[in-house]
Amino acid sequence: MPKKLFCVFLVAVFAAKVQGAEPERSVVQIMTFSQQPDWDAPWRFDPVRRSSGSGFFIKGKRIMTNAHVVSWARQILVHHYQDPRPYLAHVKFVAHDCDLALLEVEDEGFFSGLEPLRFGDLPPVRSSVVTCGYPAGGEQISYTRGVVSRIELQNYAHSGNRAFLTVQTDAAINPGNSGGPVLQDDLVVGVAFQGMPGLENTGFFIPPPVIQHFLRDIEDGRYGGFPMAGIRVVPLQNPAYRRYLKLPDNDAGARVDSLLPIATTEKLIQPDDVLMRVGKYDVASDGTVLYEGNRVSASAAFQTAQRGESLPLRIWRQGKETEISLPMNVYEGDRSVGNQYDVLPRYFVYAGLVFTPLSLDYMKTLGQGWRDSANAELIYELYYRRNETPDSARLEPVVLASTLAHPVNANFKISHHALVDKINGVRINRLEDVVRAFESATNTHHVIEFVPNHAFETLNRAAAETAQAEILKTYSVPRDRRL
Amino acid sequence: MNSPGAKGFSFFLLVATVAGRGGEPASKATGDWERSLVSVEINRKQYDYFQPWTKRVQTVVKTGLLVGPREILTTADSLDGRTLVRVQKGGRGQWWNAEVKWADYPANLAVITSSEDRFWSGLKPVTLADPVKKDGDIQILRWRAGNLEVRKAEFNRFTVSRANMSDAVHVQLELNSEIDGVGWSEPAIIGNKVIGLVFGQSGNQLQVLPSPFVRSIIAARKKGRYPGLGYFDFTWQPAENPETLDYLGLEGERRGVVVIDVPAKPGTQPVLKPRDILLQVDGFDIDMQGDYVDPDYGHLLLENLSTRNKWAGDPVHVKIWREGRAQEVVYQLPKAENAARLVPEAPFDQEPEYVIAGGLVFQPLTKNFLRSWGQDWERRAPFRLAYFRNQDPSPERPAIVILSQVLPDIYNLGYQESRQLVLERVNGRKVNYLQDLQQALQKPVNGFHTLEFMKGDTLQRLVLDAATLEAATKRVLERYGIDKETVIASSTK
Repeated sequence: MPKKLFCVFLVAVFAAKVQGAEPERSVVQIMTFSQQPDWDAPWRFDPVRRSSGSGFFIKGKRIMTNAHVVSWARQILVHHYQDPRPYLAHVKFVAHDCDLALLEVEDEGFFSGLEPLRFGDLPPVRSSVVTCGYPAGGEQISYTRGVVSRIELQNYAHSGNRAFLTVQTDAAINPGNSGGPVLQDDLVVGVAFQGMPGLENTGFFIPPPVIQHFLRDIEDGRYGGFPMAGIRVVPLQNPAYRRYLKLPDNDAGARVDSLLPIATTEKLIQPDDVLMRVGKYDVASDGTVLYEGNRVSASAAFQTAQRGESLPLRIWRQGKETEISLPMNVYEGDRSVGNQYDVLPRYFVYAGLVFTPLSLDYMKTLGQGWRDSANAELIYELYYRRNETPDSARLEPVVLASTLAHPVNANFKISHHALVDKINGVRINRLEDVVRAFESATNTHHVIEFVPNHAFETLNRAAAETAQAEILKTYSVPRDRRL
Repeated sequence: MNSPGAKGFSFFLLVATVAGRGGEPASKATGDWERSLVSVEINRKQYDYFQPWTKRVQTVVKTGLLVGPREILTTADSLDGRTLVRVQKGGRGQWWNAEVKWADYPANLAVITSSEDRFWSGLKPVTLADPVKKDGDIQILRWRAGNLEVRKAEFNRFTVSRANMSDAVHVQLELNSEIDGVGWSEPAIIGNKVIGLVFGQSGNQLQVLPSPFVRSIIAARKKGRYPGLGYFDFTWQPAENPETLDYLGLEGERRGVVVIDVPAKPGTQPVLKPRDILLQVDGFDIDMQGDYVDPDYGHLLLENLSTRNKWAGDPVHVKIWREGRAQEVVYQLPKAENAARLVPEAPFDQEPEYVIAGGLVFQPLTKNFLRSWGQDWERRAPFRLAYFRNQDPSPERPAIVILSQVLPDIYNLGYQESRQLVLERVNGRKVNYLQDLQQALQKPVNGFHTLEFMKGDTLQRLVLDAATLEAATKRVLERYGIDKETVIASSTK
């Protein structure tokens, strides 16, 4: 099970308006009023939360920031450098996978006199960088200097299940810095975005290759996302395995161990293929490529492609090299195990029983220690079944999230956090099946079966139908479903 | 209950720190008890399942009770792997060599004897109470620093819980007491009768094997009619939701619980079926929570009827509601020791099994292995391995062998970090047991051994050189100081 290693910095701080020198004038403070849904009671929202981050002006009259600065925003206010007036902004593009967003400010006057910041290249390790933003601990714009410590692929905490190229620096990156530029020679070489608990003098920023990928992606007017090859590559350093694959005993090539269920990939690649080259990058036996002087995971080479493009691969198969062109597409099969944003959770309420799809967001409603306390069946279904026994996996596992108490359901022993197997004999593969199973029933009783052990509960159908409106009214559920 | 090792350690620590501190004033009966309580010292091999070839020596001192001619009763806990057993009377003085006459780990009971005639002189058997009264003054006894310690305890409740070392479920007595460091077969007494043996402690709460349960097993054993404890292998749910009983068409008063899962047994037709309502078990009415009224204990969970004077193989008469009418079926109790589990307890009195091949360490997945993650192993052990404990064995996967770790060597370069992987096939042959692995390794394909692991998001496959495997294994054994490359119990498969 993946564990979140990083925490996202995003706290409320107040910025004073002070005079400063270029290019810092183009750095803004972003105040976000956000409200996220409650996945346990999906028609409800948590209280409005006020938080602040940073951003910077780029060409095209847009402000770049982190996706996590503006997620679930109800209102976004941008404070222009040295200007007391808050400006209303809205999200033009958001990339939750790589934690970037572009904002637009409706008032043209906001950009008057501002010079857009320009982007530089991936900064070399050991070179100096300066972070700019509005972090906690004061009200004025803050600058911190540091060096580039290392460059590699890291998990992006905002999405939780994607890793991209990341630069680590010892320049202080603190809550409130999120979305601010990291500068080198007045050029933006990164967007500050996350830290790691327990590590001092360590911050991470999103480097130019990821930023440029995002900017190229949105050129067609929509953000498509980083494509994935769906290939699990493992080191190939055991001499016997290399000999088995008829490969020379050198440092070239890493082995394909398994594939994600992506049809185009499964058609062209197979386990025990040896990846020799991805795009313009040679793959080493430890599964890395030399990327602009940095040895990083070969995933970085795959991430150079845009959605819909094909990537030339050189593979070693059955004793000889083959060139293939691999179509690169966005993989959404693991969406439920990542943090999801800006899409309200689906649900169906029947006779007080609240059904919703199983997801990481739902599991987090069980509290911080949910990995220890949650029903093991839910964890297995969410993280393992799809990989281990895809034939038995459900398209969208559904849970009985909670029960809104009413005499019709008062005797339920299984009332929450339970994985639904069948309703009225219908196997529940997705939320729509729940609706269909209840609404098409003709028997006197509804029978709801759970995983594991075929435990079940029953509802008197006539009583359930009578109670439905009353329950929705009592608990202020505006609609019985969001599908 | 703590692991035996931890308990053994804390026991000695406590002895060292509280020696000389007196217990409460001895009861009138102390003199008699001094002639009935003995100390039992067990020296044993304790295995580390992370390194199954290593063993530590552990010494545990428990309490024993004279229950008959040359018979000392104690719990079976920590008797496995014993190398030397000794007994001492009077809480001090000479230790006498002893031997285990009989041990039943699933029931957690054992009888110890000694061939030393002089040991037995002056000892007096105790009486095991039947039934257990709730209202007497309860005391816990044990030898401590040469004195008989007597501590008060209070009755809390009777529960029906799973046995420590098997799938058997039986009645247990729960007491509260300020005493600490117990759980080593100390007797709980009322007046001049033993009401149970303390086998576990959690804070102030003591778990006790009640004397009627103990008596019934000893009596059956003496008659030569004790085949071991049985258990109910089906799963049921309460029927507190009246709609469920209506749905199942039960007529008359609402009662009983609903069977929801019955394991498939090859070649046999289970007598119980999912959606049967259990109305009576051996003549006892079952209520909607799954309780019956026991004549000795009051309300108890129906599972106790699998061990209430019943043994493995015995018939249990079950009245069920099925297909609109009450019916009577006879359910035969399966043996708890042979409970079909995908992740079983490792066999008692046996070294942990493993196979080392070229530095790759393979082990059967057992509960003992998972317990290596400590008392909180259900949360701390790798989720995917621990999850198997909830699954039933199947013809496709009757048991599990894992690659538990790799002892680094040039031979296994590149695989050093592989661990906790479920082995599926070796050289194309399915592997469920270590014997399967051994046989498969005899049949390399084109000079290589190909190992395939369970489909998932972990490593799927690795390849080893067949010609140099034996030499590599020898080198690894020598370098890591391991005696044997293989330990496999003949009875495992």
